[in-house]
Amino acid sequence: MAGGALTAGGLLVAGFPRLAVSAPSAAQDQRILNFALLFEYIEAGFYAEAFSKDKLSGELLEYVSVVRGHERAHVAFLKSALGAAARKEPKLDFGDTTSNPAKFTAAAIALEETVIAAYNGQAANLTKPILAEAAKIVSVEARHAGWIRAIAAKNPAPNATDHPKTAAQVQADINHTGFLRSG
Amino acid sequence: MSDLTLGDLDRDGAIREAVERLSDGTRGAFLGKAVLGSAALLGALATPAAAGATAASDVAILNYALTLEYLQSAFYTEAERLGAVGGELKSVPPQLGAVERAHVTAIKAALGHAAVKRPAFDFRGVTEDKTKFLKTAVAFEDLGAAAYKAQAPRIKSPALLAAAISIHSVEARHAAWMRFLAGVIPAATPFDEGKPISEVKAIVASTRFIVSHPKTGSTRKPKFTG
Repeated sequence: MAGGALTAGGLLVAGFPRLAVSAPSAAQDQRILNFALLFEYIEAGFYAEAFSKDKLSGELLEYVSVVRGHERAHVAFLKSALGAAARKEPKLDFGDTTSNPAKFTAAAIALEETVIAAYNGQAANLTKPILAEAAKIVSVEARHAGWIRAIAAKNPAPNATDHPKTAAQVQADINHTGFLRSG
Repeated sequence: MSDLTLGDLDRDGAIREAVERLSDGTRGAFLGKAVLGSAALLGALATPAAAGATAASDVAILNYALTLEYLQSAFYTEAERLGAVGGELKSVPPQLGAVERAHVTAIKAALGHAAVKRPAFDFRGVTEDKTKFLKTAVAFEDLGAAAYKAQAPRIKSPALLAAAISIHSVEARHAAWMRFLAGVIPAATPFDEGKPISEVKAIVASTRFIVSHPKTGSTRKPKFTG
């Protein structure tokens, strides 16, 4: 199916409620978790490729060595929670962001920031049991963001709150990276 | 539990060792950029619509969060005032102090007259000893993230939940930052577990940092006399 991942993502987003507008339900949980699975696939793929390309050293190598395992665990958790409903891994193309340390750092910051905003934006749309699980993930993403920003000598926590993003905003961020390849 | 044990935060056995390895590097050179954007969410906490309809259980959770934020803000504010935490940690007290004070202000506004009073604190020298300060900051921020996490699913109001969850991830960033400065792995596990109120309160009590307790009932609905 040409453009499968992007099209599916777009349709999914179009059906999304705005923050805290619609009542949580099991069906909505499933849509949100599948959306989360998309960006967890991207993170996991990004760090796995960066690790295997072996162009990072020092603090960045330590970071990628740890974080790749976390993102893999998040993917596994979401796939397990979704069962047969889980979306397939999209085709990904990270260009030289997984081999150039400066580009890797910038991409890692952008990905982590997007994912934090994505989870925060869906918190009130989830049923409570699923929210409890998502909250265990989002703070780890926030730790990743704080960590990579500290390595980059950027303020790890520049704001008093992490502003949420809607699914549509997150999808736009993801599309902007160019990491998702259609087909 | 002796003071400064702070629960199982030392479970990887690395904090003390790491603190001993603290170098005088230039970390934290992003000093002074206490940018406090994203105030909109905190502002939302303070809207009458949010406060007026607040469920008793949400009031209790907010007061619990307020106590933790009082503790954190007093800690960093005192450290900043004393000026003994320098070097690569110099930016920490002003930066984290500003954020935690913003959390206090917002939660107090949301609670109105139902807000618990600020307790008195005695940090027992921790705010003027660089090594103890950093170890305590690591513990406080890990604890803050775990405390918010456990309460998030219990919050009834979607607006309050949105605000709380957006504070929660900031506490986790702080935890990672403090751990990084301490040379401890900033993100030790793929999933962060929450801590229930009883556990958090026991840990806070073990520090003996709070020397007088707030007396305002924490389970009442906000009352407005204006």
